[in-house]
Amino acid sequence: MMSAAPFLPEPVRGGIGQRIASTVRFTLPNGMVVLLLPTTATPTVTVSGEVRVGAIHEPAEQGGLAVFTGAALGRGTQRRTFQQIVEDTEARGCMVSTGSGGHTTAFGGKSLAEDLPLVLEILTDMLQTPTFPTEEIEKLRGQFLMSLREYEQSTRYRAALALQALLYPPEHPYSRPASGTRATVQQISRDDLEHFHTRYHPAATTLAIVGDFDTDQVLSLLETLFGGWEPAAAPPSQTLPPVAPLTEVRRTAVYLPGKIQSDILWGVHGLERTHPDYYAALMANLILGQLSMGNRLWENVRERQGLAYSVSSSLDAGLSAGPWTASAGVNPADVERATVALLHEIEHFVREGPIDEEIADVRDYLKGSLGLRLETNGGIASMLLAIERYGLGLEYVLRYPSFIDRVDHDAIAAVAQRYLHTTAYALAVAGPPLDRQE
Amino acid sequence: MTNNPVQAHTLPNGMLVLTREMRNAPVTTAWIWYRVGSRNEPGGRTGISHWVEHMLFKGTPTMPPGTLNRLIKRNGGNLNGFTSLDYTAYYATLPADRIELAFRIESDRMINATFDPQEVEHERTVILAELEGYANYPTTWLDEAVTAAAFSVHPYHHPIIGYACDLRAMSRDDLYQHYQTYYMPNNAVLVLVGDFQTSGIMAQVERYFADLPVGPALPHLHAIEPEPQGERRVMVQRPGPAEYVQIAYLVPGCRDSDFAALTVLNAVLSGARSFGGGGVPTHRSARLYRALVETQLVSSASSSYMPRIDPHLFELHATVRSEHHADEIERALLHEIERIQQDGIGAEELARISKQLRAQVTYGSESVTSQARLLGAWEVLDSYRRVDTLVDELTAVQAADVQRVAQTYLTARRRVVGHFVPTDQSQGDGQ
Repeated sequence: MMSAAPFLPEPVRGGIGQRIASTVRFTLPNGMVVLLLPTTATPTVTVSGEVRVGAIHEPAEQGGLAVFTGAALGRGTQRRTFQQIVEDTEARGCMVSTGSGGHTTAFGGKSLAEDLPLVLEILTDMLQTPTFPTEEIEKLRGQFLMSLREYEQSTRYRAALALQALLYPPEHPYSRPASGTRATVQQISRDDLEHFHTRYHPAATTLAIVGDFDTDQVLSLLETLFGGWEPAAAPPSQTLPPVAPLTEVRRTAVYLPGKIQSDILWGVHGLERTHPDYYAALMANLILGQLSMGNRLWENVRERQGLAYSVSSSLDAGLSAGPWTASAGVNPADVERATVALLHEIEHFVREGPIDEEIADVRDYLKGSLGLRLETNGGIASMLLAIERYGLGLEYVLRYPSFIDRVDHDAIAAVAQRYLHTTAYALAVAGPPLDRQE
Repeated sequence: MTNNPVQAHTLPNGMLVLTREMRNAPVTTAWIWYRVGSRNEPGGRTGISHWVEHMLFKGTPTMPPGTLNRLIKRNGGNLNGFTSLDYTAYYATLPADRIELAFRIESDRMINATFDPQEVEHERTVILAELEGYANYPTTWLDEAVTAAAFSVHPYHHPIIGYACDLRAMSRDDLYQHYQTYYMPNNAVLVLVGDFQTSGIMAQVERYFADLPVGPALPHLHAIEPEPQGERRVMVQRPGPAEYVQIAYLVPGCRDSDFAALTVLNAVLSGARSFGGGGVPTHRSARLYRALVETQLVSSASSSYMPRIDPHLFELHATVRSEHHADEIERALLHEIERIQQDGIGAEELARISKQLRAQVTYGSESVTSQARLLGAWEVLDSYRRVDTLVDELTAVQAADVQRVAQTYLTARRRVVGHFVPTDQSQGDGQ
């Protein structure tokens, strides 16, 4: 029980960092963490939450189980059918949603201030008392199977899938798609969903609410709604098996009839968000291929050679170490030339490290763009969830500039050398069959 | 919550400046809109507006290629641009105290963009790669075929990105001439929304824009799509994962008095949308989802109707589930239209849409970027004043109006029906 009412400060005027630091953080007795930040600019509220249960917790032969379960939460609860949920929320112009990925199941909503209690009540039911009605499960399965058919012919999806299989051994969850395959999704039963749902755990759950609401009222409402949520077992672990480093170049190609463009995806093993190398890697990735229009891959592949419209790099640093990738979409005749250009830029970056100007650019960008990221209630709520997920502390936004300023040339050069291996990497290409390339 | 009023200022060279103070966060957005899009392109020059948009990121004598993005990023902002049928827009959203940078960039590239021949050649292949990326999706092929069949005279006929043959043939001088014709202060609208004081920011705006020269008289666009004379059907057969259906009706544009009723009809079929972004989906309690997705005929179904200057399309789209076929789905979609034509819609449906619309508009007001996008788009389409009257316009629509526009415009005569049917994958029927 929340007998000891937490100290509730007035919303602090001034910088957004200060306001985020003033967020009310409260832990329910069952371990669920609640983060509340009232704002008054618009009469709206955003609710963002997550349960840290996802595809990494499903057996390999049941690929797609977590995603299926996450989507099925909204298909009926003890209090409302799917149709009633849709009717009650959409009639008021508000939204509730749930969905799972690799490590987490996200849930959330958005409403006018007056409809917040309705959104919270429905989300509570979706998390705690879903009924998984057979008819709804079959409808959902049909939609998943159609999406999977469409994915199977997407060059981007197929390149990503092929890269995952090259980077991770079959027993590692990252070797498989979180969405499963048509074969695995076909096999998942209603009982499987119900059973997987028992892994949801309040102590692995965070709920952030940002917008126009009264903190006292919402705290007591949350206590009523979530206070009785008792888990069936211990919270699931987020630890994944270690991955042996790549020792050679692994390449694969996927041929899809009728495609006009080929997607090239290069990748190595990356790092988790809480790793000490994280900020240096974040900055290295921006310099290599992320700081939009002006990074090294863009300059070479797009601006100098005109080979691609989309070219970038991506660092997937989450609860565990995801891949660090570079990609480009090119004409099938240009696959080799573009691959050489990507490899050349990566090698050059690893060999020479960043130049001072690039470091200054990304420092300024990272510090300066925080304000834009935190403009809307949704932006603030995402930040609060990340703060909780990675244990960054509510002062994080205030301290953020110092994390960035601390990273120097040598740190960036060192992470580039440590992760962006130029003699041991994976490369996947998905595009039209070779005989059509000439 | 009430929005601060929009203030309109016209500079001596004819450039319109719209400002709205919004003090929610220390952020300001600056958008510049040019009254030019694929609608203004003659035959043989398709895609020229989009290509010119790309060239505006390729530098001026004082800001070489790459500098403008760098400048914006170093100051913690975002910068981008896009081309549509009726307009081309560029925006920068920045910490409020840095917004002058956007004025520096936009006033410079309105007049001084270089169009370096070598940069033009690089961008030619970049845009061809962009086109090829879209062509990887089967629905791109269907959409282009349906749109082409729907317009025989009006330039809405061709895709915004243009035809590959035109992109290969156009010259640097073609592009430069298009730029010099349309990129002039008298053809531009600057929209500012955010954390500023109007008088202060207008002094900055005048410093950067008031002395820019007035451009030549703008070409008059006289194309009028004639009344369709019967249903047209198109079939696209390529490798693909599913059958898709797209049905498009020629309907009035946003300046017509039936725009509001058609917009409500669209909401009846697949939920009220946000204008300008930031909204929530409301389609699952609407008619198409209930009739086609809930019954497991399709995996997705939606309608669309966008505000356009000239008569454009009211569309229905569906992804056919593998147990069903496009013919069946076409009948099911048309049945939903017929129901409205025959029986009209209910009062509770109208009431729901009204509440959805108010919520969507409120969500959109959280972000300065969405607000400015809305004001600029409407000013080019018709008038920025529509932004503040839109909800009233739409909530004034009566059930009988919705039935009447469905009967008037969603007729067999006015429609194009398109089917995408996959060819046998094993034959590798690519190109």
